[in-house]
Amino acid sequence: MHTPGEPAVAPAAPRRLGAAALLWRGAAALVFLLLLTAGTLRGSDDGWPFAPMSQYAFAVDLDEEVRSPYVQGTGTDGALRRVPLTAGGVGVERAEVEGQLARFVRDPALLEALAAAHARRHPARVRFAQLELRERVSDLSGGRVVRVRDDLLASWTVPDPRHPLGCCGGSAP
Amino acid sequence: MSGSAAQAAAVAVARAWRRGWAPAVPAGRVAVLRAVLYPFVVLDVLLLTDDPVPHGDVPVQLYRPLALRRLLHLPAPSPGYVRVLLVVLLLSAVVAACGRLPRLAGAVCAAAYLDWLSNAYSYTKVDHDHVALVVALLVLPTVGAVRVRPGSGRGTPARVPSEAAGWAVRCVQVAVVCTYFLAACAKVRFGGWDWADGAVLTWAFSRRGTALTGAVAAVPLLLVALQWLVLVAEFLSPLVLRLRGRALAAAVLFWLAFHLGTFVMLRIHFLPTVVCLLAFAPLERLVRVRSARAGSGGGALAVEPAAGGGR
Repeated sequence: MHTPGEPAVAPAAPRRLGAAALLWRGAAALVFLLLLTAGTLRGSDDGWPFAPMSQYAFAVDLDEEVRSPYVQGTGTDGALRRVPLTAGGVGVERAEVEGQLARFVRDPALLEALAAAHARRHPARVRFAQLELRERVSDLSGGRVVRVRDDLLASWTVPDPRHPLGCCGGSAP
Repeated sequence: MSGSAAQAAAVAVARAWRRGWAPAVPAGRVAVLRAVLYPFVVLDVLLLTDDPVPHGDVPVQLYRPLALRRLLHLPAPSPGYVRVLLVVLLLSAVVAACGRLPRLAGAVCAAAYLDWLSNAYSYTKVDHDHVALVVALLVLPTVGAVRVRPGSGRGTPARVPSEAAGWAVRCVQVAVVCTYFLAACAKVRFGGWDWADGAVLTWAFSRRGTALTGAVAAVPLLLVALQWLVLVAEFLSPLVLRLRGRALAAAVLFWLAFHLGTFVMLRIHFLPTVVCLLAFAPLERLVRVRSARAGSGGGALAVEPAAGGGR
């Protein structure tokens, strides 16, 4: 609807763009559009903003499994807790752990970064001494969830639980 | 082809290009877009895309910078850096929202927002709901000042049609359509043509379902129908660029309903794209035109913002 509504007054003369102004605007729009299209057809997330518009773009078979990762940890007090995979909890969300799941599996020491982030964000809370990356797996059949399992992917014992990655100094809980 | 025929063809192409990409749109639409989109940026960084500040506390081991950040040599987020960035972003957005320094504040806001979003996406989770808003922030500064009040200085009067405003508005509209159309292309690229026959909604519901999703998920056939609806609507979305009047309003309402549906079912709001749908609306009507009472001889007209609209 880029035509104006009927004005109550005599229309003013439009302000036009000169040739050069039109040319660079046209070129910029075209280049951006080409990059955006190429990003979706050939690119990857790394190229954002020229990344594939791939939310919910993957195929899910009606009879496969849905995996949902989570992290739990044993505190220095011996209690088992869910590690809050949220921006408020450890600075990264579940999807951001999921996005580098293979790295965690290859190098479980990365789990200590979650303990360190948690200690930085919540200095007064109990620190994590041991962490486990696990996955809740829902088996689908005909598009319905028929079974839920639990897999262990990686685990890590923090060498100095009060100072994960040497973080946060002081007298930690 | 003779020289003159080639010349005529070139002129025709240039004209069509001008009509398609830079239609004359009342500058008031850009003024209203600024008054909505810049405050939305404030809301976004404080409430919706608020993880860049927490990212400052995350050890660099988990930082996976996007190509954009590597290219521009942007440093890894740290607690101080993200807080300074937040202040710059908020200040520039507020100034630009007031219609002040539209080029400078707008450019600073666009750059800071790119830093902010690329931070948000540099921990392996990239969202696709911000592309239209990024485009809007990049193009809005090119329009320059828009005068929404009588006698308040320089700038294009809000009611005057302007091709610069039209180009900016058109870019936002095309970016919104790209968000939908390319989402369909991505579904076919990654999910194959039988994406819509799959179980992606079951997958989504089992991960982040709400009360309503339980009832819907009980009918797998309904889910497949919804998936087809989404795919077809996304592929047809470029038609929106050719629609006018009621047909355009109906199409925009359809997308609003779609976003409301995904929010109710999946808690996915897509608000940064939703606000950009405003570029399709005749926002300039919010800036009321009226005759100036005094001080503008020769039938000159002044404008002032309608209640709730304008600046």
